[in-house]
Amino acid sequence: MDIQLSKFQMPVGFKDILPFEAWLRRKLKEGFFQLFNHWGYQEITPPCLEYYEQLRGSSKEEELFKLIEPSGRILALRPDLTTPIARMAATHLKEATLPIRLCYFGNAYRYEGIQVGRQREFEQAGVELLGTPGVGADAEMVALAVESLRLSGLADFQLGIGQVAITHGLLADAGVPVGEIESIKLLMMRKDFVGLEEKLLQLDLPKERGQEIKAIFSLRGGGEILNKITGMAKTETITKAIEDLKEVYSALGVLGLTKHIFFDFSILRDFDYYTGIVFEGYASGFGYPICGGGRYDGLLGKFGWPVPAVGFAIGIDRLVGALPKEEELGLDVLVAGGNLADRLHAASLLRKQGLKVEVEIIERSQREIGEYMLSKNIARLVKVEEAKSND
Amino acid sequence: MTKSLITIALPKGKLGEEAIALLEKVGLPTINLKTDSRRLLFEYPEEGYRYLICRPTDVPVYVEHGAAALGIVGKDTIEESTADVFELVDLRFGFCKFVVALPLTKAEEITVNGVPELRKLNHKRVATKFPNVAKKYFSSLGMQVEVIKLHGNIELAPRVDLAEMIVDIVSTGKTLKENQLVAVADIFNATARLIANRVNYRMEFQSIDPLVQGLKQIVEEGG
Repeated sequence: MDIQLSKFQMPVGFKDILPFEAWLRRKLKEGFFQLFNHWGYQEITPPCLEYYEQLRGSSKEEELFKLIEPSGRILALRPDLTTPIARMAATHLKEATLPIRLCYFGNAYRYEGIQVGRQREFEQAGVELLGTPGVGADAEMVALAVESLRLSGLADFQLGIGQVAITHGLLADAGVPVGEIESIKLLMMRKDFVGLEEKLLQLDLPKERGQEIKAIFSLRGGGEILNKITGMAKTETITKAIEDLKEVYSALGVLGLTKHIFFDFSILRDFDYYTGIVFEGYASGFGYPICGGGRYDGLLGKFGWPVPAVGFAIGIDRLVGALPKEEELGLDVLVAGGNLADRLHAASLLRKQGLKVEVEIIERSQREIGEYMLSKNIARLVKVEEAKSND
Repeated sequence: MTKSLITIALPKGKLGEEAIALLEKVGLPTINLKTDSRRLLFEYPEEGYRYLICRPTDVPVYVEHGAAALGIVGKDTIEESTADVFELVDLRFGFCKFVVALPLTKAEEITVNGVPELRKLNHKRVATKFPNVAKKYFSSLGMQVEVIKLHGNIELAPRVDLAEMIVDIVSTGKTLKENQLVAVADIFNATARLIANRVNYRMEFQSIDPLVQGLKQIVEEGG
């Protein structure tokens, strides 16, 4: 066997996007852009590269693609757009009136095992709402996330909502030693019920405590679950956080969005910067979350502007993977016949009517044109009158 | 049509047969279901289930990608695959144990006052079917070893000087003994687990959870 490696290899985890998929992505992004705009969000574009030390806090070091400036400073490709936007907003928008609504479209880069349904370069569309704490902003974010998924054409989707401060507080209240909360949260994120049993055995907590912690692990359901956890909360800040979540839920109820929503307090997200509500969108039949986001009240403070913030991002690559395959796109008209100037003129008139038009720029026979139209999926042929060409 | 069926990935062989016995107990359809036939897909549209039969090492792969919502497989396989799946229930069968084993004479060499000192094996070669488990274990001890991946009959490696030691799963210890090998350290115990895809578990919670609870109950009552 003699398998020749291609001469023109690509880095692992990067891909070429060909016309049909590029068109689908563009269509999705245009839809999101319109939607975000109608909700008052303005587009911004942060750079792809940032200084490594500014990204270090919010992602795993080994997942960052790094480069070295000729001067010796270390750069990293952005692992998401939220951190660069936080840096950008803290630099340029401090004087702006709050709240600030921003949206973005761009690629992010993470050095990860590519078998997990994720390329190392992936495209995101997202929004950030800066400068407001509380229910209003959280409700807007969840509602906009649901609207985005609805707009994208997914047949069946759900948004799972968690709240990291509540989960953390409930675990602390249930008697998990401070030093162990992180490891329990890690087990929770993986729904590792077996690991939890082992951990509880190892911690040697009273049996009731163990039961309570197990109950926190399985907190999942519709709005009714919020009443259930109210009974479990022992501190005022958590009770307040639960009340806030109830308010978010009832606002979504008014919008008729609750059928797309459930609560799951084991949703904690991978990024370390989340401080409050978090959520993930799922599409039926697709094994990975489509979108995710939440509240990150501490991140802008790291860049010297301590304002609260909430946002989410949609993974365009995953959305493309989850959507049903559409028909290959075609064109409406091919303009042939006459001379070139006539054909160009006729085409411009047709384009003004909103049609997608291609002009015959090489002289081909009737039969060749027919075959060409078939292969390119062009619906109609318009022939320019021969006589006109002498005008 | 098949979309509404819950797909469960089952491993070929003995572990799969035990898994089927358990599924039968919990009330799932298992008529004609076998893991050792040539058939790889079994559908029970009326009950709403579908099974796929694959190699044990492939079970976490099918589940991670969502080709199967649930799977039953050994903890040893899950650890080695590093797949991002939810681990829901310890099914308590298929018990085995990960160990570090050495030839008898070598084991004596590193033993001081009756305790084998693994540190003396730093930078040595280890043959294994489970390179991820081996690397993780030795790195947790602050050691570096050269991992040599083999696909079976690991016990042969030290005898022909391919490696100084092996990392392998043992259930009775018979194979080790027959090859003059002795376990010097236990890494962890493994049993069969019920695993779930992250999204399926959340999207299809209403149909998956009763099954999970049912299995938990049967297991807790002693199978």
